[in-house]
Amino acid sequence: MDGVLLAQFIMNGLMLGMMYALVAVGFTLFFGVLDIIVFSHGDTVMVGAFAGLGTYVWLQSVYPDIDTVWVCLWVVLASLLAVCLLGVVLARGLIMRLRSSPPLNTLLATMMLGTVLREAIRLFYPDGSNPQPFPKLLPDTSWVLGGVTVRLDSVLLFVGGLLLIGGIHLLINKTKLGMAVRAVAQDSEAAQLMGVNFSFIVLLTFALGSGVAAFAGLMNGIYYNEINFSMGVLLGAIGFSAAVIGGLGNIYGAIIGGFVFAFLQTIGAVALPFSSAYKDVFAFAVVIVLMAIRPTGFLAERSSQRV
Amino acid sequence: MAVAFSPLRIENLYVAYGKADVICGVNMEICAGRITGLLGSNGAGKTTLLRAVLGLTPPRKGSVVFNGMEISGLPPHKIAARGISCIPEGRRIFSKMTVEENLLMGAYMEKDRDKIRQRLERVYRIFPRLLERREQFAGTMSGGEQAMVSIGRGLMNEPKLLVIDEPSLGLSPALVNDNFRVIRQICEDGIAVFLVEQNVRQTLAIAHYGYVLAQGRVVAEGTAEELKQSEEVKKAYFG
Ligand SMILES: Nc1ncnc2c1ncn2[C@@H]1O[C@H](COP(=O)(O)OP(=O)(O)OP(=O)(O)O)[C@@H](O)[C@H]1O
Ligand SMILES: [Mg+2]
Repeated sequence: MDGVLLAQFIMNGLMLGMMYALVAVGFTLFFGVLDIIVFSHGDTVMVGAFAGLGTYVWLQSVYPDIDTVWVCLWVVLASLLAVCLLGVVLARGLIMRLRSSPPLNTLLATMMLGTVLREAIRLFYPDGSNPQPFPKLLPDTSWVLGGVTVRLDSVLLFVGGLLLIGGIHLLINKTKLGMAVRAVAQDSEAAQLMGVNFSFIVLLTFALGSGVAAFAGLMNGIYYNEINFSMGVLLGAIGFSAAVIGGLGNIYGAIIGGFVFAFLQTIGAVALPFSSAYKDVFAFAVVIVLMAIRPTGFLAERSSQRV
Repeated sequence: MAVAFSPLRIENLYVAYGKADVICGVNMEICAGRITGLLGSNGAGKTTLLRAVLGLTPPRKGSVVFNGMEISGLPPHKIAARGISCIPEGRRIFSKMTVEENLLMGAYMEKDRDKIRQRLERVYRIFPRLLERREQFAGTMSGGEQAMVSIGRGLMNEPKLLVIDEPSLGLSPALVNDNFRVIRQICEDGIAVFLVEQNVRQTLAIAHYGYVLAQGRVVAEGTAEELKQSEEVKKAYFG
């Protein structure tokens, strides 16, 4: 294969990897803090994309002359805020209430919630059952470097994702609030005895994880120029797999897992003899094998820590 | 004893896991500047009683009054904010945090950086070992060192009441002695100490007052001297 094509595939892989990493971070945060799997998380990504699209359509109808930079900022802001709020409502209304019931109930409840979100968008978003074109929010500029086309919007999205991940890293590791989040993740009762407000930390975690997922949804929409009500199903499955192969509960593991999954898809699409339609089959199959080899994921701290 | 101010009063307390009452109608008073021991065999309900006071297992009935305010039913972090610290059963240190981060978690509610630094220095004076190991992950410390982390963390908050549940479990005799010395020191600062210990002899040696719990009920109480003679204590512990 020639170098230019390879470079193009690598860039595509990096974009996908970032999206998956952002989704996986949510899965791993929720698991880290509450030991639960939130199955509706993929659909949260979808809601983020639709919240952005809805904001865009509304802005166009009310302020048709508004500058695109502002449109973009408002769309991102509205989508993140709406989905953070969705996360908080989910945590308060469902997750916290199910605290004392078996974890399986939370799993089932969030799975059903995912369906509710999906169907709600399909039924109530105008023409929601069909794919919706996603607006070009970012400038169309691109450069050709040594034959490789680099799109400005991709660069911006990737940098945005990096900033979010960096922000979360700083929050978790360098602030007192982040220390409280880590304390709750390691021993929630002990953390409460130190004066940490458990419910607040849970709500914060859900706001964070969901907000990051919303960005992944917008990124997906802008990158593919199209979104649909069921886009969260596959993204959720991939994000969950990424979190698991990275080691559930470990943020860096989730990020690595996201990029590994994208890498596997890329290999499945270009390096293997069969059609690129099999790339997901290939990637998931490898994930299954990886799970069999390293059941606790790449960065397995949860098991070694619990001695 | 009668003159000592008693910040914590437990009245007619019932605590249950599910349907079965584990604590049935307990009354207690914990005095400031005193060590109050809580004795009882395995499964008597000592930890459960402490959990109820701390808000981790809210009582089914009865009241817990701290400094004149009802605290039963409050979430644990609000109870902690009233000035109750805890060295919990089984240490419960944050194993993926460094020793120093663990100690800082102990002072989570304190905003004043100078005070936090002073307390940190004090804990490091008491346990020089922790100073040497401050950057080490707490989970990789030895059992005894982890106990020091847990005790040090409990001291970071300058509480009005310190609740201690079996701090010397798994410690060498020398460390147990250190431990009791530290507890006495804390109490001399005017803090009320509520101490659960398996080591009856040593507990009664430093406690001022004690309660004996059996099957969720107080079966004996009195000064340490009284309890040393008590048949109930012998029964609760030795058969
Ligand atoms: N989470 C729980 N669910 C159900 N029962 C419990 C729970 N925790 C404790 N118990 C029961 O309550 C009783 C009292 O337990 P508790 O831990 O208070 O005893 P303890 O006096 O602290 O004992 P030890 O000296 O062994 O620490 C025991 O019979 C125990 O089995
Ligand atoms: Mg106990």
